[in-house]
Amino acid sequence: MKFDDKIPIYYQIKNYLYHEMMTGALKPGDKLPAVRQLAVDLTVNVNTVQRALGEMITEGILESQRGKGNFVTMNEQRITRLKEQLVMEQLERVYEQLHALNLTDEQIITSLKQYIAQRGQRDDQRVSD
Amino acid sequence: MTNVLAINQLTYKHNLKTILKDVDLTLETGKIIGLLGENGAGKTTLMRLITGSAKGSGTIAVCGDSVAAHHKSHVSFTEQLRGFKPNTRIDRVANFYRTVYPDFDGQRFEELITFLQIDTSLKLGALSKGMKEKVVIALTLARQAQLYLLDEPFSGIDSMSRKRIISSIIKWKPEDATMVISDHYVSEIAPILDEVVIVKDQGIYAHKPSDAIREEFGIGIEAYYESLYEGGVKHD
Repeated sequence: MKFDDKIPIYYQIKNYLYHEMMTGALKPGDKLPAVRQLAVDLTVNVNTVQRALGEMITEGILESQRGKGNFVTMNEQRITRLKEQLVMEQLERVYEQLHALNLTDEQIITSLKQYIAQRGQRDDQRVSD
Repeated sequence: MTNVLAINQLTYKHNLKTILKDVDLTLETGKIIGLLGENGAGKTTLMRLITGSAKGSGTIAVCGDSVAAHHKSHVSFTEQLRGFKPNTRIDRVANFYRTVYPDFDGQRFEELITFLQIDTSLKLGALSKGMKEKVVIALTLARQAQLYLLDEPFSGIDSMSRKRIISSIIKWKPEDATMVISDHYVSEIAPILDEVVIVKDQGIYAHKPSDAIREEFGIGIEAYYESLYEGGVKHD
């Protein structure tokens, strides 16, 4: 995995694992690889992986079972909340950047709709190519 | 957390030239630390002082032991194998390590050799620079030490070998051991560093956790390192 050196690595590891959960590569109840294996796979430090997993355990997204390892929570509410949170983070970024371009809320909605429609067409074309 | 290394007021002069002056440095156990600095800043000297191969004034305690003669038993340093004749086979060198270092683990060495794709029947003189560096890494990591000192393990090495060496570091560093990796090219090892120590102006110019640098300044390790030299003359 390629990391952005400007952003704390533990934070990027968390985001990577969240992403794996959202795409279904990691499903509720799945066991995570051992800490050292994750470190080797991602080419990062074991301590940094531990920090990332520790925070995810505190958040309730992962559950640690003594002697067995770390598991993705089976609590669907928590996963749903995580997804909402990730979506909100992305939207916040887009919203702030568009606001910085002096767009009103109305204009932002219109532009987004327009973009999605155009994007849909473009992606359809690409599939048929 | 306990300290694996405690340096107090270390000064080292060579031919009347001061290389290091009043250095204080404490390293905790279980960390990977990047020792950064320009060529000639004193990184290798600092490592040789820690192993006891060079002697300065001040105190250096490794695992609480400040007797320099004892340091080599706690510290595994990337020796450049200059003492061996070019026609020495790699497995002979390994046998020598096994005899000299009681903590040299033959099983670990075998695993490392396989992982790093080294043919131990080769002679030292026949090795390319990258291959030789891999042999040095395998010998160094095969010891079960408390402190590992890797002196510029990536210089002149192709990127595939570099990746393998980085993976072997993550795989084989004992959990409670600390590893110091010196380099002047940071970007490739930045993701694996817990902390960076920057040697500049005859001393420790900065010592910070890597993620704290990213969090505090919003810049990468390399950019941070370079920013310390801004305005100064760059040598490379």
